[in-house]
Amino acid sequence: MSTVQRTWKVNGKPVRVRAPAGRRLLDVLREDLGLIGSKESCGEGECGACTVIVDDEPVVSCILPVGQLADGTDILTIEGIEKKRIGRLIQAAFIECGAVQCGFCIPGMVVSSYALLAKNPKPSAKAIREGLSGNLCRCTGYTKILAAVKLAASRIPAAKRK
Amino acid sequence: MKITETIDIRFPKTLAEAVRLQASEKTRGKLLAGGTDLMVQWAAGVPIPKRAVSVWNLPELCAIEVFPDRIEIGAGVTHAFLRDAVQIHRHVPALIAAAATVGAKQIQARGTLGGNAANASPAGDTAPALLVTGGSVLLASVSGTREVPLAEFWTGYRQIAARADEIILAFRLPKKGKAQERFRKIGTRQAQAISKVMAASRILVEKGTIRSAAIALGSIAPTPVRLAEVEAFLAGKKLSPKLIDEAEKLAQATVQPIADIRSTAEYRRWASGRLVRDALENL
Repeated sequence: MSTVQRTWKVNGKPVRVRAPAGRRLLDVLREDLGLIGSKESCGEGECGACTVIVDDEPVVSCILPVGQLADGTDILTIEGIEKKRIGRLIQAAFIECGAVQCGFCIPGMVVSSYALLAKNPKPSAKAIREGLSGNLCRCTGYTKILAAVKLAASRIPAAKRK
Repeated sequence: MKITETIDIRFPKTLAEAVRLQASEKTRGKLLAGGTDLMVQWAAGVPIPKRAVSVWNLPELCAIEVFPDRIEIGAGVTHAFLRDAVQIHRHVPALIAAAATVGAKQIQARGTLGGNAANASPAGDTAPALLVTGGSVLLASVSGTREVPLAEFWTGYRQIAARADEIILAFRLPKKGKAQERFRKIGTRQAQAISKVMAASRILVEKGTIRSAAIALGSIAPTPVRLAEVEAFLAGKKLSPKLIDEAEKLAQATVQPIADIRSTAEYRRWASGRLVRDALENL
């Protein structure tokens, strides 16, 4: 075992972490930092429930060893997305569309939606499907979830679009 | 405590430091790139190493260089980076297409080209596309860099030609030039699926005649394979519907497919021929 000390920016705030280098980011977020919005479902990088954004890219935190996240890494979780303008648009659209059943996959769905819309505020239907293709929902279909992302995108002010 | 927390992970800052660690059995560790395969395997009960050496973000491994005849892609380049690096797409389009089918966005952001090659799964998405370039792998150690043809790199099921003290540095890939490339992956679903069969091809046609053909399949044998018989059959022939029929049949007759949890040998044999047809029909 080797222990690392890192200083990251988590949801915009500096956070100092001390943990075994091979500890999973998901465990540091949930157990050490109390950010329990990110969920563990499959635990093997397949389902996307634990998705967070690291330096602008969506990643699955259940298979990411924290030692590999250098000082200064920028981490955005579902808790931070709620405070972002596009994040609130996504949240409202998911509620309006009823894009949720049991809800366990939804934090990951919202994080992936945010990662997509932050880069591409006017995505095609195909881009939305691709953007969410790493997030699995086992309750139901994806129709309402995809509709919610489309609705959120339509409400992003034109100035923010390409 | 989760099992991966017990591993002693080293974080060299440079390639020189990393190859020095790998040079001695006392400091050598399992090389860890984005962790998208290893972290899953370790959690699932594959014996964990005492030590690991992280090559994630090692600067020497993250470069892409374009030369007049070839492109060199660092082993640490992620699938997401390849997918988004539009300026290189025309040189190795099958590889780019393959990188864009690895897992989904989250895995593409962490998985690396070198990691995919080193993991040496028969179903590694980028391997067939690398093979059809006819390129090579650069391996680094304290004694310098050596070049191994990709055709000799995957030596058996999950076996590669790199020595224990070597680190995959980069892939040296001839540009496709006027040839045409194609990549097709057949899985159970479009994303987050491990393939049943996949094919990459690089074929040069001039005035209706096939000048050269490189066709590789993945997920069909213990290693990714080139279809040498089919390639030799096609070279120098006029492209025609009859030729495509014959190439499809030859592929089906010559592949030696495996059967496993993802598919049967019969299906893989049939699909191999159809993928060869698909490559030729789209020229």
